[in-house]
Amino acid sequence: MADQVDFERDAMEFAPQLYSAALRMTRNPADAEDVVQETYLKAYRAYDTFTAGTNLKAWLYRILTNTYINKYRKDQRRPSEVELGELQDLYLFKRMGEHSGATQSAEEDMLDAFVDEDIIEALETLPDNFRMPVLMADVEGFSYKEIADMLDIPIGTVMSRLHRGRKALQRKLWNLAEARGLTGTTQ
Amino acid sequence: MITGCEHAIEYVYQYLDEEITFFHRSRVSVHLKRCAHCTDAFEFERRLKALIKERGRSEPPPELFETLRALIQQERDTDEPQVGA
Repeated sequence: MADQVDFERDAMEFAPQLYSAALRMTRNPADAEDVVQETYLKAYRAYDTFTAGTNLKAWLYRILTNTYINKYRKDQRRPSEVELGELQDLYLFKRMGEHSGATQSAEEDMLDAFVDEDIIEALETLPDNFRMPVLMADVEGFSYKEIADMLDIPIGTVMSRLHRGRKALQRKLWNLAEARGLTGTTQ
Repeated sequence: MITGCEHAIEYVYQYLDEEITFFHRSRVSVHLKRCAHCTDAFEFERRLKALIKERGRSEPPPELFETLRALIQQERDTDEPQVGA
């Protein structure tokens, strides 16, 4: 059992990460701050139900995720599996290979050309059902099991959404690269 | 029967996420040792994953800690735990 008096000491260090995740979910700074505040308030009130020594970051994320879903997705629980269409495996690797003449260093240079804003835009344009698992796995580093628990979906669903979400993210990155002329022949 | 390349690509994410069974991991590892193309593809996916982790975060507003501390303090000071919902 965790003690409420320790809450600030224990939980505050995760606030920047939770805010960043909330911003990726809501795509709006004011909403992100609302979600984080509500999360910390709920977490504080429920802190005596947290088992000390277990994964506090995952516990806080679960509250954050539920807060976001309850607040912003009340009428959006229907699945969106069809929204992404069919996507090729290794989408970005293949596109970049076609353009760079397939030298590995050219592909790596193209990857490095993506700035924070590109990565963030690609993440934020994913539909919710795909954005959440990709965010949790790739940005936050949670395991499939932890993601399944947080989103209340089976591990197989986590895996298929991750797979499709990552491919869609790669397509978006490719579109951004093309739009910006990053894909021309390297000098 | 799927080829070594098809098998490796099917398991690329589970491999990089370290969420793969011993059997499949061994099969992928053996394949990567002799397939330069799949090795490049895996390296590319690994770098992209690292890039998303590195560049996918945003900084919080500077007053975030202060706001949260004040919120908890206020909650602590109230006798009625449901206030402010």
